[in-house]
Amino acid sequence: MTSAVDPTFNIASSVAAKPDAVQAPTKVKVEGLNFYYGQNHALKNINFEIPEKRVTAMIGPSGCGKSTLLRVFNRMYDLYPGQRAEGQVLFDGVNIVGKELDPTIVRTRIGMVFQKPTPFPMSIYDNIAFGVRLHENLSKSKMDERVESCLRKAAIWDEAKDRLHTSALGLSGGQQQRLCIARTIAVQPEVILLDEPTSALDPISTSKIEDLIDELKQDFTIVIVTHNMQQAARCADITAFFYLGELVEVAPSDVIFTNPRQIKTRDYITGRFG
Amino acid sequence: MPEHTVTAFDAELKEIGRKVVEMGGQAERLVVDAVNALIRRDTELAQRVVLLDAAVDALQREIEEKAILVIAKRQPVAIDLRELVAAIRIASDLERVGDLAKNVGKRVVAIEGEYHPQKLVRGVEHMSDLVLEQLKEVLDAYAAKDPVRAVEVWRRDSGIDSMYTSLFRELLTYMMEDPRNISVCTHLLFCAKNIERIGDHATNIAETVHYMVSGETLAEQRPKADASSETSIAFPGRLQG
Repeated sequence: MTSAVDPTFNIASSVAAKPDAVQAPTKVKVEGLNFYYGQNHALKNINFEIPEKRVTAMIGPSGCGKSTLLRVFNRMYDLYPGQRAEGQVLFDGVNIVGKELDPTIVRTRIGMVFQKPTPFPMSIYDNIAFGVRLHENLSKSKMDERVESCLRKAAIWDEAKDRLHTSALGLSGGQQQRLCIARTIAVQPEVILLDEPTSALDPISTSKIEDLIDELKQDFTIVIVTHNMQQAARCADITAFFYLGELVEVAPSDVIFTNPRQIKTRDYITGRFG
Repeated sequence: MPEHTVTAFDAELKEIGRKVVEMGGQAERLVVDAVNALIRRDTELAQRVVLLDAAVDALQREIEEKAILVIAKRQPVAIDLRELVAAIRIASDLERVGDLAKNVGKRVVAIEGEYHPQKLVRGVEHMSDLVLEQLKEVLDAYAAKDPVRAVEVWRRDSGIDSMYTSLFRELLTYMMEDPRNISVCTHLLFCAKNIERIGDHATNIAETVHYMVSGETLAEQRPKADASSETSIAFPGRLQG
């Protein structure tokens, strides 16, 4: 494994100081990552580290590359011809953007939740059990246990326990999103990627998801893309600001939201973008 | 700095900044008047200081309410948040400055007609000049968002402290010289203490300005030179008649 960090790369040194928020081993290490949508150079030499069992938020205006990076972590771009990644994303030291690695293996260890809730058109129970059955052969009672524990972890058990065998499409938007989170954690991933998970939800559902993120970080490494700056400030230990495909600044959220080092970051988070 | 996308936000922040500067001007005026009243034994002016302090208090409430409203409405972060926190903090320091000036004013009224040789107030006058200079400088540093000037004010406060210590000795000596001085000198000592406290508030404001602009608190210990709490003067062998 080579370390190819561009010495000219300019990032605030605040992370180097390693305050509490960053006192964790690195789970995902991005090194010299470039990403292309055909001719479009969407991510430009990204280098940064995502600490284990912490919440890392990625913020930035539309088109800045934050969702692209999330998709790289999940190997989603494999589905589209003409999209390619260069550089390395080391997940526990293994490069996951290498062609040799099966993307489905990546996706069982790195789960993803999307902006709009995407429950399968099946029962609540089967929404959870479906993915588990692909990877594991559990007895009925073991499966029941898994479904219950995931629904509990996703804070939707109380609302769903009496209707496990009814369609998941009958749940409210906020409940559907929590079901999707339950489904994601059912295959026991290590990293959960959340792509604007609350942008389609009302404030109460949003609070529930944020509360859940706080709970889940005890067991999982969480990466969240959000347009809601306050959400990043509230939920994330680390915040990374992207602009035009570049990583401008990454620092503990406490620093980013009170005293960002880069002028671009300041202008963006304070709402001065012209 | 570029403007906010929401222009009303800029207008609100500027308005609060203007109010703080206005309040600073009023507080400064009160101190000038209080000191002048003391030197010239002008009780009428002193009474006006006592009355006008209410206007400074009202401005503090206004600034606080406006800042809280902006926080609630806009959820400011980074420099915007620091500016609002600074406005609230500076307003509360200035409110205290107003109170201290009022206190001096009250004492001017209290010592009216007492035996009051002019030489007694010289020291207080001299110290007041220094404090007023500090207050003016720090308010300018706030208006100009200049942390360097703010730090200069912060460092200079020890000069006022040492002056207060020597004034303390001086007034004690006058009291020993002539017991008729005791009443006035005691009042003057309190006035001096009040004015010295105004200097302390100027340094608080300096710290706030530094934080507002740089995002960092002044880490080092401020140089202090108020030794009055450890000062005593030996009583001379006998009283002079």
